[in-house]
Amino acid sequence: MMRRYFVTAMAAHLRTGGSLYLLTILGVALGVAAVLSIQIINRNAIAAFAGSVKAVSGEAALSVLGYTPSFPEDLYPRVLSTPGVQAAWPLWRAAVALSGRDDGMLDLIGVDFFTPVDIPWQGEPGDPAAALSQPGWVALTPLLAEQMGWRVGDAFTVSRGSRLVRLTVGALVDFHALNPLASPKLAVMDIAQAQSLFGDAGAIHQIDIKLAAGADTAAMRTRLQEHLGPAVRVVTPEQREAQAKGLLSAFQLNLTALSLISLFVGVFLVYSSTQAALVRRREEFGLLRSLGATRRQVFALIITEVGLLGGLGAALGLPLGYGVAQANVRVVSATLSNLYLLEEIARLEMTTWLYALGIVIGVGGAVVGALLPALDMARRDTRALLSAFTLHETVGSLALRLFALGVALPLTAAVWYGLHGRHWQHAGFVLAVVLLFTLPLLTPLLVRELCARIRVRGFGLGYSLKGLGVRLQTTSVAVASLAVAVSMLIGITLMIGSFRQTLSVWIGTSIQADVYIAPASWRGTGSDGGLEPHVMATATSHPAVQAVDRLRRFHGYTGGRRISISGVEMDLAPGRSRFPFLPGALPNPYGAMRERRGVFVGETLARKAGVWVGDTLPIHTPIGVQRFPIAAVYYDYSAGDGAAAMDLRTMTQAFGPGPVSSTALYLRPGTDVAAVVEELQAALPDAPLEIRSNRRLREEVLAIFDQTFAITRLLQFMSLLIAVCGIALMLLVLAREQVSELALCRSLGARGRQLFGVFVGKGLSMGVMGLALGSVGGVLLAGLLIYVINRAYFGWTIQPYVDWGLIAQQAATILGAAVLASLYPALRARQTSAVALSRDDL
Amino acid sequence: MESQQIADNAAAVLAFDAVGKAYAAPSGEQRHVLHDVSFAAPAGRRIAIVGRSGSGKSTLLHLAAGIDVPTRGDVRVMGRSLAEMSETARTTLRRDHVGLVFQFFYLMPHLSVHDNVALPALIAGDKPRQFEPRVAQLLDRVGLSDRAHERVQKLSGGEMQRVAICRALLRRPHLLLADEPTGNLDDENGWRVMELMLSLVAEEGGTLIFVTHSREVSGLADEVWRLHSGVLSPHAEAEAPAAPQPS
Amino acid sequence: MKRAAIALLILAVLNPAAANDWKRAQPDYAWSFPRDHWAHAGYKTEWWYFTGHLQAEDGRRFGYQFTFFRVGVLPAAPHTDSAWTARDLIMGHAAVSDLDRNDHRFSEVIYRAIPLLGGFGAWSQRASEASLPLIAWSRAPAGTPGKWRLAWNGSGFDFDMRDDAQALSFSLSTRPGKPLIFQGPNGFSRKTQSGSGASLYYSFTRLQTSGQLSLDGQTWQVSGESWMDKEFFTSVLSPHQLGWDWFSLQLDDRREVMLFLLRREDGIIDFASGTVVHPDGSTTYLDGSAFTVTSQARWQSPHTEGVYPSRWRLTIPREQLDLEIVVEMADQENRSRLIGTLHYWEGAVRLLQNRLPVGKGYVELTGYGTSSRPAL
Repeated sequence: MMRRYFVTAMAAHLRTGGSLYLLTILGVALGVAAVLSIQIINRNAIAAFAGSVKAVSGEAALSVLGYTPSFPEDLYPRVLSTPGVQAAWPLWRAAVALSGRDDGMLDLIGVDFFTPVDIPWQGEPGDPAAALSQPGWVALTPLLAEQMGWRVGDAFTVSRGSRLVRLTVGALVDFHALNPLASPKLAVMDIAQAQSLFGDAGAIHQIDIKLAAGADTAAMRTRLQEHLGPAVRVVTPEQREAQAKGLLSAFQLNLTALSLISLFVGVFLVYSSTQAALVRRREEFGLLRSLGATRRQVFALIITEVGLLGGLGAALGLPLGYGVAQANVRVVSATLSNLYLLEEIARLEMTTWLYALGIVIGVGGAVVGALLPALDMARRDTRALLSAFTLHETVGSLALRLFALGVALPLTAAVWYGLHGRHWQHAGFVLAVVLLFTLPLLTPLLVRELCARIRVRGFGLGYSLKGLGVRLQTTSVAVASLAVAVSMLIGITLMIGSFRQTLSVWIGTSIQADVYIAPASWRGTGSDGGLEPHVMATATSHPAVQAVDRLRRFHGYTGGRRISISGVEMDLAPGRSRFPFLPGALPNPYGAMRERRGVFVGETLARKAGVWVGDTLPIHTPIGVQRFPIAAVYYDYSAGDGAAAMDLRTMTQAFGPGPVSSTALYLRPGTDVAAVVEELQAALPDAPLEIRSNRRLREEVLAIFDQTFAITRLLQFMSLLIAVCGIALMLLVLAREQVSELALCRSLGARGRQLFGVFVGKGLSMGVMGLALGSVGGVLLAGLLIYVINRAYFGWTIQPYVDWGLIAQQAATILGAAVLASLYPALRARQTSAVALSRDDL
Repeated sequence: MESQQIADNAAAVLAFDAVGKAYAAPSGEQRHVLHDVSFAAPAGRRIAIVGRSGSGKSTLLHLAAGIDVPTRGDVRVMGRSLAEMSETARTTLRRDHVGLVFQFFYLMPHLSVHDNVALPALIAGDKPRQFEPRVAQLLDRVGLSDRAHERVQKLSGGEMQRVAICRALLRRPHLLLADEPTGNLDDENGWRVMELMLSLVAEEGGTLIFVTHSREVSGLADEVWRLHSGVLSPHAEAEAPAAPQPS
Repeated sequence: MKRAAIALLILAVLNPAAANDWKRAQPDYAWSFPRDHWAHAGYKTEWWYFTGHLQAEDGRRFGYQFTFFRVGVLPAAPHTDSAWTARDLIMGHAAVSDLDRNDHRFSEVIYRAIPLLGGFGAWSQRASEASLPLIAWSRAPAGTPGKWRLAWNGSGFDFDMRDDAQALSFSLSTRPGKPLIFQGPNGFSRKTQSGSGASLYYSFTRLQTSGQLSLDGQTWQVSGESWMDKEFFTSVLSPHQLGWDWFSLQLDDRREVMLFLLRREDGIIDFASGTVVHPDGSTTYLDGSAFTVTSQARWQSPHTEGVYPSRWRLTIPREQLDLEIVVEMADQENRSRLIGTLHYWEGAVRLLQNRLPVGKGYVELTGYGTSSRPAL
């Protein structure tokens, strides 16, 4: 390639045509940022989990975990006596709430310091005598201590269930030394103190095992599993990580897909800006060709240049993506710990892989976007490149061919889906991709036909629109990219809106009591701590209380799925229901639950596990797998693998006794709920409880919902931003390309202001076309999301619902953005002089 | 004599008073395209300007149309001094009183024959009932009525130029400026276009100034001026010019 | 002193403030047997130390060591409601030297003294001799089923251990060949000149021993003679004392000798003491001036780089003893896998006088090599 020429020319073009380059770089940067930010968060979410696993159980080849939250400690000697075990140590673990801090949780680990567990003491090792004897002795990470402003000797309060525990900082443990991604919220204390202070005698949560040299991990797993019985499962660290990945896969896949749409739109932007830059430089290429440059050289010149721009875009996109990730990590992290009960993401780490990804998609995206224009430019013959640029440019039959492809593609996809695809989980995404590819294919012909049919009744909007039909290659790319972004915006808005509406209706059935009491440590379904009897007694003895529901909830397993299992005891008036059932429940589901060990299964679980009313649900209990008849399936919108509910007595029989996790109070009609909440708070002073009114709980559920989709909205916004850049770019291109046309209008007496109007009109027209096309795509996408993708990945039934106000608002925003994007090009157009028409002819 | 000329100039549709035009060359030097050009074109005259390539013909037309402004001197259209007018006022003047025909036709490819002709009216914001009969009349006159709704790309070169002439005449300009109107046509088509344009101008009573390098075409004019190295002089073979007094 | 070198790194930082709460060895301790064979809560350290020479029916000779340590973490159990509540650790060390094959095996356990994992029994007056509780027990090392046990059999001790990873197990029963003797007046054994460091210390110097021993899957019926030490105390070593050499010698003339020499960091003997047990069971206590021990050869451990003495000349003029003490095997070093810094030499020796064999014994060498300062 002509390296020297490349450098000189590039520098010159950067000086004169900065805005086009800028938009290419911006398009790449935004696309890279969108994809990268999601990948950063996704990878770090897994890394946070794996990091904490490694920091706590780094030496362990196997871990014993319960099928229920805890298991009896006497399994520990059984592990010790299993041949092939070199060392083993028990762990008691709990997520406890830091008092006085809304978001503060501590991942507390009770250990036996006299086992070969590796404690990364910072400075002086912890004093085992103090650890055993000084009440509440706990070792924290230096990071947390610093964050909280605590030093050794300081005391603080935590809660698990309704129990308050005072802890004292006894030493520092630097888990980051073992793994940089370990959660700073890991804390260590003596196992006896932990069990005693938190009222958990006899229970442990994990046993970590080191194997003797030469022991076969798989064989040891089997041997231990046989030796330990059905209450626990023996897993490798890889299996734990895989399980966390599996739990998050749907969530992460969705975010990845959304971010890829941004990239898709970004590639469009590169395509059109490259196209524009090349059109401007056709004479340059013509000259190069006439001076002996080969097609290959011209092609290489273009691709190298675009690749370089892509690299610059990636360089910009990397920090941008990191910034976006950083800005959103809290929300996503909160979602992960709320919905999936995983470690919070303490910090983000940029791995080499992520840098490489950013550069590859930046450069790759740019090159892919530039490929067609570059090939086109290289293919043209020298004479055509050099001939004067005329207003006559024939529109080929390409539009028709693309349209035909755009019809055939979705039809093929539909047939495929009908025949095979619907049995495949990822089919929904294939359909969505097909949909998003179809829109750009249909666009050229639609734009052309629309423009051709417009009657020009004045030098205004009609004229603007008419002009768009000419530069079909440029126009339709801009319209198509906007349409894709709009589809995504509208599709997801419709989906989220429908989901939110469905959820509100669901809340209406599920959240009926007047007052809800749950411990502060009970985030979502997090901890196995519960309400102590005296708390229950105080709460239920309030004179206004008419009926009480009790709920005991923990995580259990059905097959390999981790589900939330509830034991409920309901003061249920005849004919009333707390569960919104799907059609097909047994005639008297509550009777079946109470008298025949029946379970209600959440829709999510029913769909994923393929079970329904009439089947039995196998659940791991401490004495092995027990099967419970399914009495009903209810609408359930929890994340993860789903939920099941049984009678509290059934639960006690199957799992042994345990504390009530939360309670719901029904007050006498006419009672002032707010006053009762206050009285309960006064009656239970200092208790680490969340006492919520019905209304507040509903609000909080919806707030969590909104938080969950915050990142989705951000991605939508980024796609839209890229698309709007595309409009600006396209109009800029028109302003340049159509200098002659503009000059002609000027010579025919058009004023600058009129040209300005025409350009804003063009922007608006493209906005309208993109919006129209995108709306169709959006409705289809919403359908896919609601009926195919959500069902396949989450198993939720979502009732379609359209918030017209919101849609109108978004439409207005899109059009506004389109107009805004056209302002600068319009200003440039306005300045076109009639002289420009034929200066060259002088 | 002095006052006589001013009076003549005032009555003229287009008058140049000692007009000079220079462009800044990339080197920074001034490149003088026109030197001290003065003339007055009275109503109804058909004037041909001949000259070699680069002699300043197009610049002269641009100045006449108010597209460009002189470096020295003044241009008056319909007796109004362009030097005193804003760009917008010049644009409006051009829109309302001047028609332009180009060598390369310059038709909007995305518009139909009809819409191309109607474009000046659209730009001016005329009402359809005002301009529609006129469009029909003109198209009829040039023999393209039956092709009014075709795309211009389907037309031949001669047909395109006829459309361009209709467009230029749509709003009945007092002054029609044509820049090598036959330059892109073969001889036969060129003749037919010129004849058509001349007869249309005659019917409408306008003034026509056209640039050409063709001796035959220039022979169709009432007078022929010669532009050479930016200096305008009456052509020897044409009839004596009535008004221009090269100073 | 003693035996046992327990450098529990983790206990090196025992809360000094709590040291006052521990009981200290007193010269007027009121002994009562068999009760005093059981554990003495409140003292920080206690051990039951068995060493001996065994011979199989096929003539194969073994040396062995079996020890339970009680490591006090807290003087009293904390009031926590948990099965993990503990004030002691139980540590077990067991070793066998296969003297004919020059093979030394070491096995160890360390657990919280809690019902799940191990602990110390309590003597009960009401219990019949047959059902006397265990003195101490622990889970076998990880990967090995079963327990390690030490029990009183009415006249002597029964104990057994097993470690599948070392392919080692033994189960031995002992009965006294000579009666119990005190090491020092009333069992009060000084470790420093001032008596600030001291332990309560008694021994069975000849225990007739029989039982089974397995090594690498092969099992032997074995019999022989053992020596048992029992010591409990709160503090023995003064800050500048680095380690000790300890000797338990059984002469063929039915005399026994116990000697210990405490070394300073510069290698100088800081304090030495000993006991001679006469054939009739009477004892003579020796102070440091009554005997000399001279190291005559050294052996460097290839594993820890510790340089140990490996041959001594012992003279006790008053007893007309001038003995060569020769190790049966050079490498009888115990290296802990659970406590990385802990290693000591504990091995079988034979006694020569005028180049003729006159007896056998066991020697313990601590504080040699890097970072091996015992903490107790």
